[in-house]
Amino acid sequence: MSKELITLTHISKSFDGQLILDDLNLVIHENEFVTLLGPSGCGKTTTLRIIGGFETPDQGQVIFDGKDITALAPNKRQLNTVFQKYALFTHMDIADNIAFGLRIKNKSDQYIRDKIAYALKLVNLEGYEHRMPDSLSGGQQQRIAIARAIVNEPKVLLLDEPLGALDLKLRQDMQYELIRLKKELGITFIYVTHDQEEALTMSDHIVVMNQGYIQQEGTPEDIYNEPENAFVADFIGDSNIITATMVRDELVRILGVEFPCVDKGFGEEKPVDVVIRPEDVELVPRGEGCIPGEVTHIIFKGVHYEMEVQAGGFEWLVHSTKESPVGSQIDIRVDPFNIQVMNKPASEDEQAIGVEE
Amino acid sequence: MNSKRHPVEKIYMAIIFLFMYAPIVTLIVLSFNGSKSRAKWGGFTMEWYANLIHDSEVLNAMANTLIIALIATIVSTLIGTAASVALTGMKRRTRSLVIGVTNIPMINADIVTGISLMLLFKVLHFETGFLTVLIAHITFDIPYVMLSVLPRMKTISPSVYEAALDLGAEPFFAFRKTILPDLTPAIISGALMAFTMSIDDFIITYFTKGSGFDTLSTKIYSEVKRGIRPEIYALSAIIFIVVLILLLTSDRIKAKAGKSVRRERSVQREKIRRIGVIALASGASIAIILMALAFGGVFSKNSTQVFVYNAGEYIDPEVIEMFTEETGIEVVYDEFESNEIMYAKVAADGSAYDVLCPSDYMIAKLIDNDMLMKLDPAKIPNALQYIGKQYYESATSFDPGNEYAVPYCWGTVGILYNKTMVDGPVDSWDILWDPKYQGEILMQDSIRDAFMVALARRGYSINSVDPEEIRQATDDLIAQAPLVQAYVVDQVRDKMIGDEAALGVIYSGEAIYTRRENENLEYVIPKEGSNVWIDGWVISRDARNVDNALAWIDFLCRPDIALMNFEYITYSTPNVAAQEMIEDEDIRNSNVAFPDEETLSRCDTYVSLGEDGDRLYNEAWKKVKSAD
Repeated sequence: MSKELITLTHISKSFDGQLILDDLNLVIHENEFVTLLGPSGCGKTTTLRIIGGFETPDQGQVIFDGKDITALAPNKRQLNTVFQKYALFTHMDIADNIAFGLRIKNKSDQYIRDKIAYALKLVNLEGYEHRMPDSLSGGQQQRIAIARAIVNEPKVLLLDEPLGALDLKLRQDMQYELIRLKKELGITFIYVTHDQEEALTMSDHIVVMNQGYIQQEGTPEDIYNEPENAFVADFIGDSNIITATMVRDELVRILGVEFPCVDKGFGEEKPVDVVIRPEDVELVPRGEGCIPGEVTHIIFKGVHYEMEVQAGGFEWLVHSTKESPVGSQIDIRVDPFNIQVMNKPASEDEQAIGVEE
Repeated sequence: MNSKRHPVEKIYMAIIFLFMYAPIVTLIVLSFNGSKSRAKWGGFTMEWYANLIHDSEVLNAMANTLIIALIATIVSTLIGTAASVALTGMKRRTRSLVIGVTNIPMINADIVTGISLMLLFKVLHFETGFLTVLIAHITFDIPYVMLSVLPRMKTISPSVYEAALDLGAEPFFAFRKTILPDLTPAIISGALMAFTMSIDDFIITYFTKGSGFDTLSTKIYSEVKRGIRPEIYALSAIIFIVVLILLLTSDRIKAKAGKSVRRERSVQREKIRRIGVIALASGASIAIILMALAFGGVFSKNSTQVFVYNAGEYIDPEVIEMFTEETGIEVVYDEFESNEIMYAKVAADGSAYDVLCPSDYMIAKLIDNDMLMKLDPAKIPNALQYIGKQYYESATSFDPGNEYAVPYCWGTVGILYNKTMVDGPVDSWDILWDPKYQGEILMQDSIRDAFMVALARRGYSINSVDPEEIRQATDDLIAQAPLVQAYVVDQVRDKMIGDEAALGVIYSGEAIYTRRENENLEYVIPKEGSNVWIDGWVISRDARNVDNALAWIDFLCRPDIALMNFEYITYSTPNVAAQEMIEDEDIRNSNVAFPDEETLSRCDTYVSLGEDGDRLYNEAWKKVKSAD
């Protein structure tokens, strides 16, 4: 793995007596596309603002490239931010917006001209130098905001929900654009979003946060396939989360039926949660599966059918390319490999903290 | 705007506008009126505007007003803007608390703000004057700036500022480059509002200005007593136009700032900036020009001063200049609106003024309350030599022994009538009860003057406190009411000049003036007798410059000076030598200006009625007015 660029240690922060971040520890490596993902109020934006220098943590340290920058003013930090609402300087034209940081650093006019041209080419907005920000669409403004940040050659680019204000199609285009930019620039991106699909699409590394705590870190595949708790499972994609009992290693009782599985080390007769992704639930003819059920609902989604199945007293969400009409009497079957067993949290707090210990 | 309005709507709008603007239009029209009378059109003239330019007192007051307004605007704009920016960064609860507190001067009644500031300055031993007025204006201007800047500040996203920081800008540079440009229209608009409020203010200025310092509003107010000079119409017209222009500019800026027309925005901003620069530059240059004029008056204070407190329009301004030239004593000159206001001010701070000019009954009251100083006869030789013995004699009714006061002006109350509208010579108050002149009679709207007429008519003392006599006088006045066109104050003069009434009760000084404008008018002191009043100069017990005050009094008693004053104010002078020097034979021998000894002997001065007497008169007056 590449070297550690930013390290947050024991960061705590509260606003008006409300705890937003509690003893947060996070390591960000060079050249990673890291996404802080979580619902609103989870502390992801605060974390980003602490890195950017716009907030000072109540406790803890921010280490950047081996140096403690906790108390350093934002204008002294070697990183740049792309704000959610673009934050362009509306009384300056595009060229002046992009040149803002360079002029402060007293770069030569030639250098600035070249940089503006380069940045506009990079974000596919050549020829927009003398337009005013108000005359641009939302997507264009956001690309200018990115251009304005990257001309300063930061080591890290912070992006605070940069696509939040754009419509769906534009958002998808911009996701690919950002991945391309990241590759071309070869710098670290720290990206904040509440959109799990965006996170899964773009990131090298995802940090799932809730209520000021990190719930799980890992690659998009890790997060999706092996959620460590019900919160992550629920937040990332659709899932069936069912209360179950771990009978012993590699055997779990779900809705009164014993299923073989691959998880070990939960003890015997222990209450657990299991996660089964909807695409992992197989519908088979009656008698061939484990739990008998009936299809109650079906919607065609294009790629697959989305069905609801009443089985064993639980309403299962099922994705399948095969259609089973409403009223079909079927059995449910799950491959042992597709059953993800998780510790059951004993309290709300534990649920928030997750199961890292 | 919808051009197809219903006619009724149009008429309704027209009426509203008429009500709102008719008074101002009247004022502007009168400012071009060649006649001094409000009732007569004397042809178009620019005279009053031209006079203004030469009126050093008005110019001085105007300079004060502009300097105060300009400095107060600059300071309050800086403070108000900084406060608005700071408030936006505060926690919500603290913010609403601070906003609430800073808004108090705006919501608070001006009079409360004014009095409390005055008290504070007194407690802190600030010498009231330029500085205290300036501080007061800054105080009440700040909320207006915040009122304009704060809402704008709230709409500005802090992320723009953060973006500038993020790009390496130092905090102040970031503020200047990001927030300030967005804030500029609101700041200019707030500054214009503050400027207007400062120019406009009367009450707070009045309480914090102390002696010898006037802004336009307090200057104009102090002139009200003797009726307003046409120059003041001209001045008011100018103020109205200037304030109107400022308000329109401020509205335009606000409207422009509010519109977010996309591409034109930067062009508009540029325009707004230009308007702001022009407004500020022109304001500044006017102020600088006038500052030069005013500098001496505002800031210099030397030891050879005399603080004079006189009624409005009660001296020839040239006399003041001559006094300073000849004696080297600087005159700090203030005017009061009524004897009662003068009394309140002197009672509050006896050392504020050295020398005062109250009326007879007020002199009595001041003596009773031990607020005056006995005059040293050795230092006022002119007063002893030139003031007529008969006037000293009359003055004993309020100043026994003539120890405190030197008569300055005097006059009588009588009937002014129009020879063409009234049959035969008038010689009795009875004519005011003659049904023939129903609706043609004007009475003075003043308790003492009204009862004086009724009491004198029946041969009673004009200072009567006999309940039976007052009852009869009351009945007479009630019986007279249907005949009376109106109870008025200084409109008697205008209405008589304009032939709007046949008979009116009037003061002799005004009578002289009316006869210059309308030769059909005749003044008479009825045979039953009337009131003679005397205003005199006195020195405050706590005066700081006694010798200078005595020099002032004596200077005014010099015959040539008394003559100048007589010609300027037209009230009769008690200076016998001056009387003889009057060139105009008609006036010198006029029985209006100088009634003969026999007529005067029938007239009395008013004396204080005492508390019971005051109550008796007030109750009777209420009956008369409600019957009216």
